[in-house]
Formats: sequence, structure tokens, C-alpha cells
Amino acid sequence: MAATTVLPRPKAYDDTFFKPISLWLTTTDHKLIGIMYMVTAMLSFVVGGIFALIIRLQLSQPNLQIVDAATYNQILSAHGVTMIFFFVTIFVTGIANYMVPIMIGARDMAFPRVNLLGFWLVPVSIILYYCGFLTGHSLDAGWTGYAPLTEKAFQNHSLGVDFWAMSIIVWAISGIMASTNFLTTIVALRAPGMRFSRLPLFVWAQISTSILLLIVGAPLAAAMILLEFDRQFGTQFFTTGGRPVLYQHLFWFFGHPEVYVMILPAFGMISEIVPVFARKPIFGYMSMVAALFGIVFLSMTVWAHHMFTVGMNTYVEGFFMLMTMLIAVPTGIKMFNWIATAWWGSIDFTVPIKFVFGFLATFLIGGITGIYLASVPVDTQLHQSYYVVAHLHYVLFGGSVFAIFAGIYYWFPKITGRLLDRKLGEWHFWLTFIGFNGTFLIMHTLGLEGMPRRIWTYSNEAWATTNLIITASSFLIAIAVGIFLINIIRSWNHGEIAGNDPWQGNTLEWATTSPPPPYNFERVPPVRSFMPLRDLRESGELVEEAAPA
Amino acid sequence: MTRSARALFTILGLTALTIALSGCGVGGLSPIFPEPVSPNGQAIYNLYLGISIPAIIVFVGYEAALLWVAIRYRRSRQPAGYTPPQVHGHTGVELIWTAIPLVIVLTIAVFSFVALQNYFQPINDQQMQVTISGHQFGWDYDYGNGVVVHQEGSLTSSVEPFVVPTHTLIKLQFAGTDVIHSWWVPAISGKTDAVPGYYNYSWMKIDRVGQWRGECAELCGVGHASMQIIVQAMDQPDFDAWMAQQKAKATAAASPSP
Repeated sequence: MAATTVLPRPKAYDDTFFKPISLWLTTTDHKLIGIMYMVTAMLSFVVGGIFALIIRLQLSQPNLQIVDAATYNQILSAHGVTMIFFFVTIFVTGIANYMVPIMIGARDMAFPRVNLLGFWLVPVSIILYYCGFLTGHSLDAGWTGYAPLTEKAFQNHSLGVDFWAMSIIVWAISGIMASTNFLTTIVALRAPGMRFSRLPLFVWAQISTSILLLIVGAPLAAAMILLEFDRQFGTQFFTTGGRPVLYQHLFWFFGHPEVYVMILPAFGMISEIVPVFARKPIFGYMSMVAALFGIVFLSMTVWAHHMFTVGMNTYVEGFFMLMTMLIAVPTGIKMFNWIATAWWGSIDFTVPIKFVFGFLATFLIGGITGIYLASVPVDTQLHQSYYVVAHLHYVLFGGSVFAIFAGIYYWFPKITGRLLDRKLGEWHFWLTFIGFNGTFLIMHTLGLEGMPRRIWTYSNEAWATTNLIITASSFLIAIAVGIFLINIIRSWNHGEIAGNDPWQGNTLEWATTSPPPPYNFERVPPVRSFMPLRDLRESGELVEEAAPA
Repeated sequence: MTRSARALFTILGLTALTIALSGCGVGGLSPIFPEPVSPNGQAIYNLYLGISIPAIIVFVGYEAALLWVAIRYRRSRQPAGYTPPQVHGHTGVELIWTAIPLVIVLTIAVFSFVALQNYFQPINDQQMQVTISGHQFGWDYDYGNGVVVHQEGSLTSSVEPFVVPTHTLIKLQFAGTDVIHSWWVPAISGKTDAVPGYYNYSWMKIDRVGQWRGECAELCGVGHASMQIIVQAMDQPDFDAWMAQQKAKATAAASPSP
């Protein structure tokens, strides 16, 4: 008879969260660090969201003066920087920091103290950036900070740009540390039986993300260092007399892969959640992995599609156009495989899978508008217009953030031991879905009609109604986020006890207690496929530890 | 049908309605660019329509499949004790949905590249050349004969129009003097950046009399929103008269030059 695998008894409740502050400050436990990453990211999300609401209020009608132009430019820059650098990237790093070691059956990350340092660089980076506001003149050139607008000649009195550049350098170092740590952990610390061919797809996604960030983090830091040389030591890299376009090349060599740094972990989460709720294995495991690496490769050959209007040779533009369009192929494979996984399934429509379907429905639109934007002639019309704003929110909000919400509803029980409230979750989902599409779907038309992005106000009356609808819808998203935060706080304290495995999961994190002990597993269960827990459940080897006598 | 399924239906119905409404241009919502007045703008317009064919098919097909899955394969619709078939993949099917998108995007890429070669190369057979230089915050249009139109940015009043003749192939040469600006009039064509350090080129050949609005499309500082553009196209005789008037003005102002 096969040896049975005894799983730990579910905890009644473990108040892991109420730890002394000294422990939070010094812990090297990947789970606590992961939680700190996620909490930091969520705070950034709220701050970035407030910036977004100010932007929408200012644009709700023509010729409004809720904030002046100088303030508006700082707010729009802060919205972008906060959401991209401090929310999405940080959150997906946090959730991976928590889940990856458990999913591969490890006790911790390979370098726990590097992990600790890497995390604490994030608050340093955030504080550095917001110091810009204390100087009274923060970064005001958009999250991309194009030179020469950020050069000393045009920002003479402003330290905001310097704080931003420093912040991004620290952020890049932190990201490189995390990536190194993830790769080493996944290569070196897999449990017996956890071959590469059995890694959960979320772990594969984290491998590809880490490779990307490892490669492109350094050019970002380089761009910032050169910019600082220009500003502080009088060099002429990107100044009016230098090569401003060089800055764009360096920035987008990071900037476009960064999009995939934000979306690949989301892909990983979707790939974990769909099979569990459809009660079917993922469709085409190998092609999912291959698609991830296809995206990693292609994403580093497309950066100049952000620069089709700077006047490049048309053959060069053609190359970047082709590579950009080819990304649709691996992404399409993933989209089709997910729907094939759900096909013939028995889908329990709880909140996580609702967000997954929201993701599929909206990310598709972002992918399709991406094809329009990739076509060079069409891009010269759409570039830097509200069409681009709509597109990027469809991939970043409709894509990454919907997946992040799905991941939160899915893994919150594992992290806290309690389920999120389902009713509030439903409200959260539907308000987000309606508010999101109300905000960004019609935004495409503004771009087509000629409204450029990043203008602080406009006099064209034809855009007034559309903008008003957008602003109203954006407040629906704000309400949804409010409901979500209430749900998090309430459920954290009073939610229904989840047990070890509330969703009948496939992967190893559901084989330990919720929350897991500091060492994750007393005994790592045997791994025989990429769904180790399900194998045990089906072979009847799964026995829960007997209740105490 | 359960409550959630009905809700899902409602939402997707509303989304479809929004798209349909925007198709009719209700409430200033337009699903496409303004009617183009220059051949390069027309090329973009046609390309946009062409891409829309596969785009709409893929969009409708995928969303319909998603809706079908959400309704048909929910647990409440399945018989009690239903165990889904444990399919791990299907090489043939996976190859099909690798190949079809590949063919679609390659087709789009070819059409786009042909349009790029035909309409978006720097030209040399122009009948007229204007140098457009951007500065914080406005545009200067140098006709190369001493006449310069200064289009100073303004939010409130309409700006000085950039006057051009119709049916004339005009080469536009862009220069940046301080930061990067981007010249964009959607009815004419796409945008061209005015970058300091080198010339960037575009062209236009406007086929009718009229006036079109545009904006600076690259964030260039606090006055970015005020860098509005107005292009006014006149028939050749009207343009010649306007040009003669401008030349006279320029000569009169020549001695106390700024």
C-alpha cells in the first residue's frame, strides 16, 4: 500500500498578523516580506488612485481649473510612477515572494537577507520619490520623464526630477535583487520530484519575469544615471544640444519589457486559478511555458514602437512593427488555452474566477488595440493620444489589476487563514467591471477625435460629454476599491475560517496550514506532476492529521 | 439561468450597446478618425478600417466563447457529480490557434509596411516646403521666403492659422528648439515629433478648402495644452493673395526686426 501523506490539521485561527513591530522590521521570512510588499503596494494603489480621481475631476469639463497646469503635470506623473513602479510591479513581486517558495516546496527564498534588503529598498524608493513633493516641484514630465524636458535647462529650480531619478535607481536595484533571488530559489530549492516540467505555471511566469527584469533593470538605472550626470555635472547626453532620442531608446528598452514584468505574473495567476475552479488541468501546459518565453524574447525587440514619430528609417520601423505584432501570437496561445481549460469544465463562479473572466474579457480588448498601435502608420495617429491611455489601462488595469484582484481573492485565505466576504466581493467585481469599461472603453474615441494625452485642460466642447461620462465611471471604480478595502480589513479580522484548502487547489501551498508555519512544511508532500496536491487527493493518499484527543 | 448569469448578460449587452452607439456617433463618440483630407491621412484611415475586420471578428468570437463558457459550463448547469474530462491539451488545436493569429498579424504587417513605404517616406518632389519649429509654447511656420507665421499657444482664443494652398504637395520639415514637441492634426495625418538636434519630415496635400484643429501631442511643460494648431487650406488664388499680403507685412516690418 502506498504511504499516505498526512497533512497538517487546519488551524482554528492563527493570529500571525499581530506580531511585534520589531519582528516585521527584521524578519527574513519570505511570507512576511511578501505581505509587506503587498501592503506597501496596496497603499500605493490607493494614493495613485487618488491622483487618478484628481486628474478625472480636472478633465471632466472643458476649461476647468480645479488644479493648475503645473500641479496637474506633477499629479499625472505621480499617478503613472506610483501605479507602475510602486503598485503593480511591487504587488506582483510580493505575491510571488509569498507563493513561489511554497509552491516549489522550499522553506524560504535562497537569499533571505537579500530578500529583506530588496524589500526595504522599496519604501526607500517610494519616500525618495515623494520627497519631490516636499520641494514644491515634483517630477512633471510624465512617468517616462522624457529628456530634454527633464533637463536642467527646463527644470532649473526643481529637485523633483533628481528625487525621481534617485528613486528609480534604487527601485531598479531592488528589482534586480528580487529577480536574482527568485531565479536562484527556483533553480536550487525545488522539493524532491519538483522537476522543471512540473513547476506550477505561476512559478514559470516568475522565472520569465525575473529574467526580464534582470536584463532591463540595468539600462533603466543607466538612463537615470546619465540624466543625473546631465543635470548635476553638465554633461550633454540628452540635452537639447545632445541626443534626446537616446534617452527614449534607453528608457523604452526597459519600459516595454516592464509592461511584461507587470503582466506575466498576472498570466501566471490566471493559469493557476482557471484549472482549480474549472476542475480541469490547464490546457497545453508546454505551450503555455513556451508562450511565456516567446513573450520574454519578443518583448526585448519591440521598444522602438513607442518612438514611431521621432523619424526613424522605415525599414527599422517595419522591424519593430513586425516584432510587436508577433507578440500577439504567444499571447493569443495563452488566451485560447485559458478558454480551452474552462471549456467542458464545471466552473464554480466564486469571486476569483469572476475576476479571471473579467480579465479575459478586458485584456482581449487591450490586446486588439495593441495591434492597431503596432501598425506604424496607424500609430502615428494614435500615439500620445487618449487612445493610448485607454489601451494601456486595458492591459494594465483590465489585465494586471484584474488578475491581481483574482489572485487576492484566491490566496487571501492562505495568507490570513480567512476567506474574503463573498457578497462584498461580488459588489467589488461588478462595480469594478462596469466602472472600468465605462471609464476606458469610450476613452478610445477621445483619442480618435484628436485629444492628446497629458493635457491639463481643453477648450474643445466636442469632448465634454465623453469626458464627463469617463469621470463619472471612474468614481464607480473608486467606490469598488473602497468596498474592496473594507472587505480586506473586515475579513482579516472576522472572515470565515478558510481551512487549509478552501478551493480544492492543485498546488503545494494548499497542502500546508493557512497561514503556513514559518518553515512552510513539516514534510513536503511527494510531487508527481504539476498538480501534486490533486494527485494525492485523487489517489486517496491524502489524510488530514487527526484532531487532538 | 442564475442571477449572476443574467447580470453577466446585462453587462455584455450594455457593452455591446455602447459599441453600437459609438458606431452611430451618438454624443460625439466616434469609432474612427475624422474624415481625412490628405492622402497620407487617407492611407491611415484605410489601414485602420482594414485592421478592424479581423479585430472585430476576433473580438466578437472570443467574447462570445467566453460568454458561452460562463453560461454553459457553470457548476450549477452541470449534472450533480459531473467530472469534467481531464484534457491536457491537443497539439492540433494548439497549432491552429498559433497559426491563425500568425497569418492575421503577418497580413496586417505586410499591408502596414506597404502603406509605410508608399506614404510615410520623406519626399523630394514637393511643390512647396514649410519648416515648422516647435518651442515652449507655440509653433513657427517658416515658408522659406521671409514669411513666418507665429502660432503662439493659447487656451482661450483661437490661434493664428497656418495657411496652406489646396492640391499642393507640401513638404513639412520639423525642427525642435527647446524640448520635444509633436505636431498633430488628426484630419490631415499622423503626428511628427519636432526634436531638437535634427530635422524630421512629413508632408501633406490637402484636397479641399477648410480649417482643421490639432494639438501638440508630446508633453512639453506647463503650456502643453495651449499649443493648439489650426491649419487653414485655401485655393491657390486666395493663398497667393494671402501670401502677397504677408510678404508686404514682412517687408514693412523688416527694418525694426525683433
